[in-house]
Amino acid sequence: MPVRLWRKPLDAEKVKLPKAEIHILKNQCKGCGFCIQFCPKKVLEESEEINARGVHPPKVVDESKCIICSFCTSVCPDFAIFIVEKPCKEGC
Amino acid sequence: MAEGEIRIGVYVCHCGLNIAGSVDCKEVAKYAATLPHVVLAKDNRYTCSDQGQEMIKKDIKEHRLNRVVVASCSPRLHEPTFRKTCEDAGLNKYLFEMANIREQCSWVHLYDRKAATEKAKDLVKMAVAKAALLQPAEEIEVPITREALVIGGGVAGIQAALDLADTGYKVYLVEKEPSIGGMMARIDKTFPTMDCSICILAPKMSDVGHHPNIELLTNSEVVEVKGYIGNFHVKVLKKPRYVKSDCTACGECAKVCPVIAPNEFDAGLAIRHAIYTPFAQAVPSTYIIDMNRCLNKDGVIVCDKCIKACERQAIDFDMKPETIELKVGTIIVAIGADVFDPSVLPNYGYGKYSNVITSLEFERLINAGGPSGGHLIRPSDMQIPQRVAFIQCVGSRSDRNGRLYCSNVCCMNTIKDSLLIKEHWPETEIYVFYVDIRAYGKGFEDLYKRAKKEGVIFIRGLPAEIIEDRKTHNLWLIGENTLQNELYKVNVDMVILSVGLEPRKESEIIQRLLTLSKTQDGFFMEAHPKLRPVDAATGGIFFAGCAEAPKDIKDSVTQASAAAARAGILMAKGKVTVEAITPISYADKCKACGLCTKVCPYNAITLNKELKRIEVIEAACGGCGTCAAECPFDALTQNHFTDEQILAQIDAVTEYDAEKKIVAFCCNWCAYAGADFAGVSRMQYPSNVRIIRTMCSGRVAPKFIERAFAKGAAAVLVAGCHPGDCHYINANYHTKRRVERFWEKMEKNGLNKERLQLLWASAAEGERFASKIREMQTIVEKVSREEIESSKKVFEKALGGS
Repeated sequence: MPVRLWRKPLDAEKVKLPKAEIHILKNQCKGCGFCIQFCPKKVLEESEEINARGVHPPKVVDESKCIICSFCTSVCPDFAIFIVEKPCKEGC
Repeated sequence: MAEGEIRIGVYVCHCGLNIAGSVDCKEVAKYAATLPHVVLAKDNRYTCSDQGQEMIKKDIKEHRLNRVVVASCSPRLHEPTFRKTCEDAGLNKYLFEMANIREQCSWVHLYDRKAATEKAKDLVKMAVAKAALLQPAEEIEVPITREALVIGGGVAGIQAALDLADTGYKVYLVEKEPSIGGMMARIDKTFPTMDCSICILAPKMSDVGHHPNIELLTNSEVVEVKGYIGNFHVKVLKKPRYVKSDCTACGECAKVCPVIAPNEFDAGLAIRHAIYTPFAQAVPSTYIIDMNRCLNKDGVIVCDKCIKACERQAIDFDMKPETIELKVGTIIVAIGADVFDPSVLPNYGYGKYSNVITSLEFERLINAGGPSGGHLIRPSDMQIPQRVAFIQCVGSRSDRNGRLYCSNVCCMNTIKDSLLIKEHWPETEIYVFYVDIRAYGKGFEDLYKRAKKEGVIFIRGLPAEIIEDRKTHNLWLIGENTLQNELYKVNVDMVILSVGLEPRKESEIIQRLLTLSKTQDGFFMEAHPKLRPVDAATGGIFFAGCAEAPKDIKDSVTQASAAAARAGILMAKGKVTVEAITPISYADKCKACGLCTKVCPYNAITLNKELKRIEVIEAACGGCGTCAAECPFDALTQNHFTDEQILAQIDAVTEYDAEKKIVAFCCNWCAYAGADFAGVSRMQYPSNVRIIRTMCSGRVAPKFIERAFAKGAAAVLVAGCHPGDCHYINANYHTKRRVERFWEKMEKNGLNKERLQLLWASAAEGERFASKIREMQTIVEKVSREEIESSKKVFEKALGGS
């Protein structure tokens, strides 16, 4: 379709995508970086801090971008990350 | 029959005053009678009339004519008519020849009767010279596959496919979008009846989906077309949907899909998910995954929400693109048109001011199924506007700001839109800024009157500029009312740009695949604007809808039914005859070098290495004659355009006053048609040009040019289709190569290479042809006696028999 799409869709606000709550168990992380690498929305990045295992665990850059695909949970070899959907209050 | 004495009958037509107005037809006929082999020469008012044709038939019998020459209009117009006349009288139709003294003589030399008459005599002489060498020929028959391909699934493609399928033919309908429906599916109401567009289209779409004779290929593109009329081999690339046809369109997948994107169908005014269906009535209703948006790339399933949500397990990320091979007899091109993108016009601020929208965006806003639920709201604050302005001709009727042509649909569309607003919100002030209101169709004027009665204000004169009030986002329109000679400054809440239509971007691909031609506007060109309006010049291909020119729904449907009928005629017959203009090879001269096999655009010639000779597949031959021009041993020539015939024409031109004449070789499809168009448009140009028609410029062998110069011609023109537009795929590239080599030869021999000109002119470029002749006239005037003599000497060898 040659029509140029430049407008913000009128219903962009109305469409509610689930909001994520990302939980990282920092001290369980061994710093493999899989979660950072495979996140399709680039929600995570390596943090500055050093955990109990002496590595940099991931940190959340922008939680609102997370779409709860939970691929990070699937690829984490150390069960150190999981996502829960934020309970929806007042139209979220 | 052609053996023995050659007896030619010449008929010089007055065409009322069309020819007789500037050519002395009696004198031409008298002159024709003196030419060798001519046993009879007559002039009459209308040779193409029944009486004219009857006279020819009678003469063929009474005077034992075995060749007929008619000097009248273009062979592109009436050659078939007179060929049939000859056949009816028992004369092989290939023994007929035409001299074009109307389009290429009387109409282009309206004010110089003497020169026009002289030229007409020459043209008749050329035709007679060729006629004497004509040979009877039999046409071979080719079977037609009784299946059709329709490219494009808009309303035109849908109608054409349904008509053909209902007639009983198998139809493949190829659509590049995920659903058929095209532009009509996006429109809210249709003019002038105000029917709901999708309500009348949806049943047709669903018929297509269920028809046993239609195979619907959506999300697919035609990537290769080979073959010829009746026998096209087509490759279609079917892109994966990633959803199997088990899909019940329940929509559970889209509900869970976490990716959102603007929906193209709603002009970006609504969102869709990465897995989606473009609109509720889509056919097929199967959902589709937009892989550019989906998170699962390169086979890694990151997100499996849709897979989990689908009860029918219809989602399949392993789907691969497929190439489908089809064998069809006819093709209908219904690819539609694009809409003009007004963001190139800075003065209207589209893309910058949020309340300036296009008519297509308006259609989605006013549509009850659209993003705003049918409430016309302005994007800046979602409020219903009180004052609305329409601006007409955005991208139309201006070669500076868009396209030169009128897009045909925008006036009525705006009138319809203004009435829709009045229907829902009668208090809205509506201004329409226009250049001319073109309400030409059935019921259009009534609708226009109704809009005026409802209080829509029509102001002649487009705004020069739109200025936005930064606080309110209201818009000021500034311009001149050209009816009242006063400036206006109008404040409105929203502006709707009535955008024009333009040729599809992809039309260039289709043009190349199907070897079609285009008009200057960029839309596909029909074989004849009046009498074959839906046929392409290439056999077996037809046009429907906006692919051919901007048109409304009614015209698109009409044309689609016409195209289906035309394709149906071919398929009902089941066979087609191939014109006997195929190559003739002389085995005794052939050295089996294989040059001809390399230049053939259709691979119709194969080299038999064992027998050391070539073999011609006549059914595959397109009839360009490029092979004949390439043969260095004169072992190959083209039926009906033999070396002898063309040389005889050259000799006839150059017999007298050669040093003042231009010998022009024009291809039948572009340059010759362009010269005809110059005639139809009465463009005047110098009368010293003599056109020799070949099917393709690729037929023009260097020896023809040599012969013309050897006989003392002042200049030679070789004219063909634009590169890439060749009617014979790529044959004109050989023309280019040969002419370039000829220029080198001329330079090497100290000749002025300007005397040989190469022109690419399409059938619509009459002015281009005419101005080339004018330009060459100045060259001819400069050519000196010595130059003529020296070129005569250089090419002396070409005078020997062919």
